[in-house]
Amino acid sequence: MVNISSEAKVGLFVLVGLIILGYMSFRVGQQGFGLKNGYTVRAVFPNVAGLDRDASVQIAGVEIGRVEEIQLQDGQAVVTLRIRPNVKLGNDAAATIKTHGVLGDKYIELAPGTNTQAFLKEGEQIQRVESQADIDRLLRQITLIAADIRGVTSSLNKAMGGERGEASLGEIVENARLLTKNLNALVVNNEEALRFTLGNARQLTDNLNRVVVTNDAKIADVMDNLKDASKQMEQTFAQLNEITGSINRGEGSLGQLVKNQETAQKLNQTMTSLQEVSDKINQGKGTIGKLINDEQTARNLDETIKGINRYVSKSEQFRTYLNYRGEYLFDKSDGKSYVDIRIQPKEDRYYLVGVVADPRGRRTVKERITNGVMTRTEEWEKDGLLFNAQVAKRFRNVVLRGGVLESTGGVGLDYLMLNDRLKLSFEAFDFNSDDDDRAHLKAGMEFQVFKHIYLTAGWDDFISKRSNSSPFAGFAIRFEDDDLKYLLSSVPIPK
Amino acid sequence: MNAISAALDGLGKAMMSYVEEMGRILLLFLSVMAWMFRPPLKARNIFKQMEFVGVKSIFVVVLTGTFTGMVMALQGYHGFRMFGAEALVGSTVALGMTRELGPVLTALMVTARAGSAMAAELGTMRVTEQIDALSVMAANPVKHLIVPRVLAGVFMVPLLTVVSDFCGILGGYFVGVHLLDINSGIFIKNITKLVDLGDIYNGLVKAACFGLILSLIGCYKGFNARGGAEGVGRATTEAVVLAAITILISDYFLTAIMF
Amino acid sequence: MIRLEDVHKSFGRQTVLDGVDLEIERGKTTVIIGRSGGGKSVLLKHIIGLMKPDSGRIFIDDVDIAQLNDRDLNEIRKKFGMLFQEAALFDSMTVGENVAFPLREHTPYREDEIRRIVSERLQAVGLTGVEEKMPAELSGGMRKRVGLARAVALNPEIVLFDEPTTGLDPVMTEAINRLIIDTQKRFQLTCVVISHDIQSIFEIGHRIAMLYEGKIIAHGSPDEIRTSANPVIAQFLSGSIEGPIKIV
Ligand SMILES: Nc1ncnc2c1ncn2[C@@H]1O[C@H](COP(=O)(O)OP(=O)(O)OP(=O)(O)O)[C@@H](O)[C@H]1O
Ligand SMILES: [Mg+2]
Repeated sequence: MVNISSEAKVGLFVLVGLIILGYMSFRVGQQGFGLKNGYTVRAVFPNVAGLDRDASVQIAGVEIGRVEEIQLQDGQAVVTLRIRPNVKLGNDAAATIKTHGVLGDKYIELAPGTNTQAFLKEGEQIQRVESQADIDRLLRQITLIAADIRGVTSSLNKAMGGERGEASLGEIVENARLLTKNLNALVVNNEEALRFTLGNARQLTDNLNRVVVTNDAKIADVMDNLKDASKQMEQTFAQLNEITGSINRGEGSLGQLVKNQETAQKLNQTMTSLQEVSDKINQGKGTIGKLINDEQTARNLDETIKGINRYVSKSEQFRTYLNYRGEYLFDKSDGKSYVDIRIQPKEDRYYLVGVVADPRGRRTVKERITNGVMTRTEEWEKDGLLFNAQVAKRFRNVVLRGGVLESTGGVGLDYLMLNDRLKLSFEAFDFNSDDDDRAHLKAGMEFQVFKHIYLTAGWDDFISKRSNSSPFAGFAIRFEDDDLKYLLSSVPIPK
Repeated sequence: MNAISAALDGLGKAMMSYVEEMGRILLLFLSVMAWMFRPPLKARNIFKQMEFVGVKSIFVVVLTGTFTGMVMALQGYHGFRMFGAEALVGSTVALGMTRELGPVLTALMVTARAGSAMAAELGTMRVTEQIDALSVMAANPVKHLIVPRVLAGVFMVPLLTVVSDFCGILGGYFVGVHLLDINSGIFIKNITKLVDLGDIYNGLVKAACFGLILSLIGCYKGFNARGGAEGVGRATTEAVVLAAITILISDYFLTAIMF
Repeated sequence: MIRLEDVHKSFGRQTVLDGVDLEIERGKTTVIIGRSGGGKSVLLKHIIGLMKPDSGRIFIDDVDIAQLNDRDLNEIRKKFGMLFQEAALFDSMTVGENVAFPLREHTPYREDEIRRIVSERLQAVGLTGVEEKMPAELSGGMRKRVGLARAVALNPEIVLFDEPTTGLDPVMTEAINRLIIDTQKRFQLTCVVISHDIQSIFEIGHRIAMLYEGKIIAHGSPDEIRTSANPVIAQFLSGSIEGPIKIV
C-alpha cells in the first residue's frame, strides 16, 4: 500500500467534508436563491394568525417568494411579500392565507390575476385578499354537507312517516330468552318468504346495477343532488299512500277501483312519475335538469376523491366511514333511516355508532308502583331517534357484530361475497318480552353498485306478532371519510 | 442525622471539586489560547492529531450516523403514521441529525475514541516523565501537546459532524423511501423545505464547541494524571465521563442560546 | 554556579528534603550519593525547576529560580541538559527524532546538519543505526543511552544525570563514564551526577555530596569522602548491613 502522509489524509478528509457541507447547504439554501433581487408587494389581511416571516408564497403550489415582513397598521396586518423577479402578478391578483394540513405551516397562496396588461410593481398592494383559512372553509363545507344529509334524511322521513317506536337498554336480558324460541319459528315460517324476497332484491339490484354502470360519470352528481331526488320520491310516495289509503278505507274492491276514475287516474299518475324518474336516471340525467347543469359539483367531488386516493397509502388501515341508509318498508308504507359512523382501526375490526329513525319511533317504558302493584306503561315517541353502537369483528367473509342495535341489545351477522360488493346480513335484537312481541329479526342484503352507492333489500322484523313485519328496499351512501386524514397531512387541500 | 449531613457534605465536596476542576480546565483553555497564537506551531503535530481525531474516526461516525438516521426514520414513521404525516419523516431525521444528534453523537463517539486516547497518551507521558522532559528541554508542554490536540478537536469534530449528518439523512432516506415506501420526492422536498442553513451551521458551531470540550478535558485529565498505569487508567475514564457529561450539559445551553 | 539554601520539600506528611544546603561548582562534576528513596531525584528536579521547594532558595547563576515565571525559567533551562532516571524518551517519536528534538526546538540548524549531529551523538553513546527505531523497541540500557545523547545534544552548560550507568554492563558503564569525563573536560561542563555505582563515583566526581535524611551530611573531594569518619558514609561506601542506615 502506498504510504499516504497524515497531511494528505487530513486534506482529503477536509475536502470531502467541505464538499458534503457545500452540497447540503446548497440543497437546503436553494430556495432563497434568486429571491434577493426580487420585488416586494404588500397585502393587507384582517388576521394573519400563524403566519410567520419567511413563510412560503406560492402560486398553484409553486413557491415564488417568501413573506418578508409582517406589520400591524390600523389594526390590520400588512404583509410584505418578496416575489421572484421573473414572476409577474396582474393588478387583479388575489392573496389567501392557507395551511398545509392541520399541523402544517401557514403560507400565502396567490392567484396571479388575469390582467396581462397591468402588472403589480414594487411596493404596490394586492387588492383582493381572502383572509379565510382552508380549515375554516373546510369546516364550513362539512357543515353544509351535514345540513344536506339532514335535509335528505328528514325529507325521506317525511315522505315515509308513520308509527314510531323505541326500546330501552334495560330490557336486553329478558329478551334473550325469547330469541331462542323465536329463531325456530323464524326458520320454519319464513323460509319461502325470504327466498322470494331475496330473489326480488336480486332482480332489483341487477336492474339498478345496469342503470348505474351506464352512468358512471354522473354518479357523483346524483349524490350531490340526493336532496332533490328525495323530494321527487316524496311526491311519488304520497301518491302511493293515497292509493293504499283508499284501498284500506274499503273503497278498494276491484270493481270500485276500476270504476273510480280518480283513483285510476292517481294510479296512472304514480306510474307515470315513477316511469319518469327511472327514465331520467336511465338517461343519466339524474334529477331533472339540475344534474345536467351542475357539472361543477361532480368535478369537485371527483377531484376530492382523486386527492384522497393520491394520499391514502397502502399501509393505512385506520379508516372512517360515514354511512347513510334509507329503507322503504313496503307493508307499512313508511321509511326507516340510518346514519352512522364506522371507525375501522384494523382491517378486520370496526366500531359503529349511529342513529336510526324508525317509523314507530322510540319506546319509553314507565314503571309505577301503586299499592304495592307495579304497573307498566309504554309510550311511543314518534320523533325519537334510536341508537346504534356496535363492535364488529371480521373472520374471512363473515362479520360478527354486537352491541346496541336500535337502542336495544343485539347481535348481527354479515356474510360478504363478490369482493365485499354483496353483503347478506342478519340482525337480531330487541329481545325484550315486555311488549309482548317477539325479538326483532331483520334479514337483508346490500349490493354495492358504485364506489359510494349501495342498494339494499330485505325483510325487517319478519317474525313480529304486532304486524311490524315488512319487506323493504332502499339505498345507502357510504363515504370513507378520508377528509379527516387528508386534513391532517401536509399536502395542501385541493380546492 | 449524621448520615444525612455526611451525605450533604460529600455532595458539597463533589460539587466543589467539579467547579474547581472546571476552573482549572478554563485556565488550561486560556493558556492553550495563549500558546495557540505563539509561533512557531508545528504543522506536522497538528496534522498528526487531525488524522487521529478526524480521519480515523470516520468509520465509526459513518456507522453511528447512518444507523441513527435509520432508526429515527423508523421511529418517526410509526409516530407520524398516527397523524398521517409520514411525509415529515425526512425532515424530522434531517432536523434531528443536523441540530442535535449529529453534533452530540459525533462528539460522544470522538470522546470515546480520541478523547480517551488523549487522556491515556498524555497520562502516560506524565507518569513516565516525558512531560517533564519536555519542560526540561524548554519546550512548553501545552504548546507541544495540547494545542495540536485542541485544534484537531475543534476542526475535526464539525467536519465529522457534517459526515454524520449526511450519513444520517442517507440512512433515513434509505429506511423511509426504500423500506417504508415514503415518496422520495416528498421526503427530500420536506427536508429542503424545513431545514435551514442555520440548522446545519448552528449544529456545526455546537460540534466545534464539543470538539473543544472533549479535547480540552482529555488533555487536562491526562496532563494531570498521577500514579502509574492505574492513574492513567483513572484519568482516561474520568476524561470520558467528564467530557460526555459536559458535552450533554453544554448542549442544552448551546441549544438554548442558538435556536 | 548552583546554590541551594535551606531547601525543604514534603509530599504530604513525608518530608523528603529537610534543609538542603549545597553549592555546586562551575566546571566540575558533582556526584550526589544517598540511599534509594532518599530524595536524590527530587533534589535534581528542584535544580532544574520541575519542582518548587516548600521553602528555601535555589540559585542558578545568582537567580532564584523558585521565583521565576515560566518564560524566564525556560530561558534558564536552555542552559541545561538532563538525563532522567527512566530516560523519559518520547515514545511517539523515533530515537532519531528524540535526539533531534532539542536541536529542532532551539537551533536554526538545517535538517541534514541535525541528522549529522544526531548520529554523532548516538555514536558517542555506542549506538548506531537505531535512528528509525521507536523507544519501545529498545532495551532499558539503550534507552538510557539515547536519553544521554538527547541530554547533551545541545551542548548545554550544565548537565544533570540521574543514574546514567544503572542497568548497563561493566564495559558500557566504563564507556559512559569516559564519555561523561571527556565531554565534561572538553566543554568545561558543570555536571551533577546521581549514582549508586561506587567505582564510578570516584572515577568521575570532582566533588561528592552525600544526601541523608533530607540533608547534605557531607560534601567534599573524593578523597575526603573516602576517608570520612562519618559512620553513615562509611557504611554507605562499604555496603555493610550493620550501621546507622536502617534497611527497614
Ligand atoms: N511526585 C512525587 N509525589 C510524591 N512523592 C514523591 C514524588 N516524587 C518522589 N516522591 C517521594 O520522595 C522520595 C524520594 O524520591 P526520589 O525519587 O527522590 O528518590 P531517589 O533518591 O531518587 O531514589 P532512587 O535512588 O531509588 O532513585 C520517595 O520516597 C518518593 O516516594
Ligand atoms: Mg531517583
